[in-house]
Amino acid sequence: MKRLRRSPLRRRLLQAAAGAAWAGVAGAARAAPSSPSPSPSPSPSLSPSHSAPPAVAAGRQLPPAAAPEPAPSAARAWRNWSGLQACQPARWLVPADEGELARALPSLPAPLRCVGAGHSFSPLVPTTGTLISLDRLHGVGAVDPQRRSVRVGAGTRLAVLAQALHQQGWALENQPDVDLQTLAGALATATHGTGATLPALHDAVLELRLCTPDGRILRCSRSDEPALFDAARVSLGVLGVVTELTLRVRPRHLLQRRVWLERSETLIDRVAALASTHLHFECYLLPFTGYGAAIVHDPVDAAIDHPPSADEDVLRDLRLLRDWLGRWPRLRRWVAQRLIDPAQREQAVDWSPKLLSTVRPTRFNESEIHLPAAAAARSLRQTLALLERRNEVFFPIEFRFVRADDAWLSPFHARDSASIAVHAAHDEPHDYLWQDLAPLWAPLQGRPHWGKLHGLRAAELAPLYPRWRDFARLRAALDPQGRMLTPALRALLTGADDA
Amino acid sequence: MLLRQHPILTGAGSSPTAKALAACLLGATLAGCEPAPEQPTRPQIVARAASLQPADPLLAERYARSCALCHARDGSGAPLTGDAAAWAARRAAAGDATAQPLVAVRQGLGAMPPMGLCPDCSDEQLAALTRFMADPGPRP
Repeated sequence: MKRLRRSPLRRRLLQAAAGAAWAGVAGAARAAPSSPSPSPSPSPSLSPSHSAPPAVAAGRQLPPAAAPEPAPSAARAWRNWSGLQACQPARWLVPADEGELARALPSLPAPLRCVGAGHSFSPLVPTTGTLISLDRLHGVGAVDPQRRSVRVGAGTRLAVLAQALHQQGWALENQPDVDLQTLAGALATATHGTGATLPALHDAVLELRLCTPDGRILRCSRSDEPALFDAARVSLGVLGVVTELTLRVRPRHLLQRRVWLERSETLIDRVAALASTHLHFECYLLPFTGYGAAIVHDPVDAAIDHPPSADEDVLRDLRLLRDWLGRWPRLRRWVAQRLIDPAQREQAVDWSPKLLSTVRPTRFNESEIHLPAAAAARSLRQTLALLERRNEVFFPIEFRFVRADDAWLSPFHARDSASIAVHAAHDEPHDYLWQDLAPLWAPLQGRPHWGKLHGLRAAELAPLYPRWRDFARLRAALDPQGRMLTPALRALLTGADDA
Repeated sequence: MLLRQHPILTGAGSSPTAKALAACLLGATLAGCEPAPEQPTRPQIVARAASLQPADPLLAERYARSCALCHARDGSGAPLTGDAAAWAARRAAAGDATAQPLVAVRQGLGAMPPMGLCPDCSDEQLAALTRFMADPGPRP
């Protein structure tokens, strides 16, 4: 079979991580949250994306779009990528520009929620009020080579952003596994890639503009309204709606990917060393096989050579073993160890976005926990052992590293972290992903990925985040009526149970 | 792939040679085993999908920020723009309810959410976009 000649596991196999489905973000003021300094003037130059976007896609510049037409507001149903979350909003809003958004927000039916690619598994988006899409607030400006920065419309999807930057000779510092998300959605949920020295995406934000629920436009950066800036970079979309961001970028660069198989036990022993010696390191443990796949990406100066991905084939093989031998775990492992060829290797060279991000045809639901990096290897070993008590498990367990940052609700706040992500097919039970593993992760002060499945509420989350109360005060000041909160989000952030 | 080639897992007779032989034998009974018309290679299909865009500027803008993210990207699982065989296969497999592409896009299909990542598209625009992707015109 042709597919059997392909090299084995590529990283992206699963995860998809989620990043985030929706957009949203906003802010408040620093010393006087109730009176943030408004910046009502329209955003000066990125506006092409709002009216006639300099749309860039698939490696080419598109002609200017025609004049925007009125967006339909008919109430259409929504569901997320995995099919787990769904809603029927009373209204949709797809604003053509920041001004339209600001005029509309004060009078729209609440709860107000933003939606992006629908890649969040947690109930961040579903609302019976208004669902807001930022798809028309997209566009990528010209990179400022001195400042190494670029202005981006909040609704720009990561894949489009990466392509537009590449065409200008630049790139993001890191990329998440999946790149269909809108920029605002990815930031609002603290979407991340992997690399012990590389922070999550929101750390690249230099400045942002947001629209509060009462229609004020605020602007913030590290030097201008820094408290608002620290709250709004990761906000779960409860402070308002982000409309535009300025990002730090780096010159585009080629990476070399190397993938190999290794016995799980030795691989787990080596994760810290591998993370410290490679720019991007991650691994996938393959349940009921005794093996894991190590994946590293490092800068290289070589010709592009990018063979097709075999991820879907790997996943199919693992599911096949589960389907046929799941009832007999010892036999399943015995067969797997005789069928797996540990000598398999994969190698590729390409531009960073082409290797670090992808799209995932196979749908799943997912939980992910962010742990202190130093304690994570032991927890990874325990996670594997615990999941292997369930014969239905077949998805690889994903393990990545993320550098600390200082956003208030960042799961990586003041803590170098390692992330363990577990998955279940979208049409199979998934509750065990969190219920079984939460007791294992809780003693390590594990912080869940905001866009993935977890069971924590305000009382449990507050002790995990040193600036939790500061965020809560800012949120209340910016949205005193709680118009951005659904019952699920109210329970998550305030503990109030009106669901 | 993860596993070694093994008849238990791969199925005996599923090698390219066996498949080709079986196809030829089957074809021989139906059409005399005549050579099939030349089909584009996968790299050609992928390259063409990446190069196509609707002629209408507004549709091109919508296509670039929504449809193209999957339909112009190899490995996404979506039928690629201009890959007539893939679109025909999807249509044949979909059955009556979703045989109309507009219905599939509005309701969502597989990994594609309702409205196909284009919440501001009208029904007419969705229909035009799906027509374009399935049949963007003759090859150059």
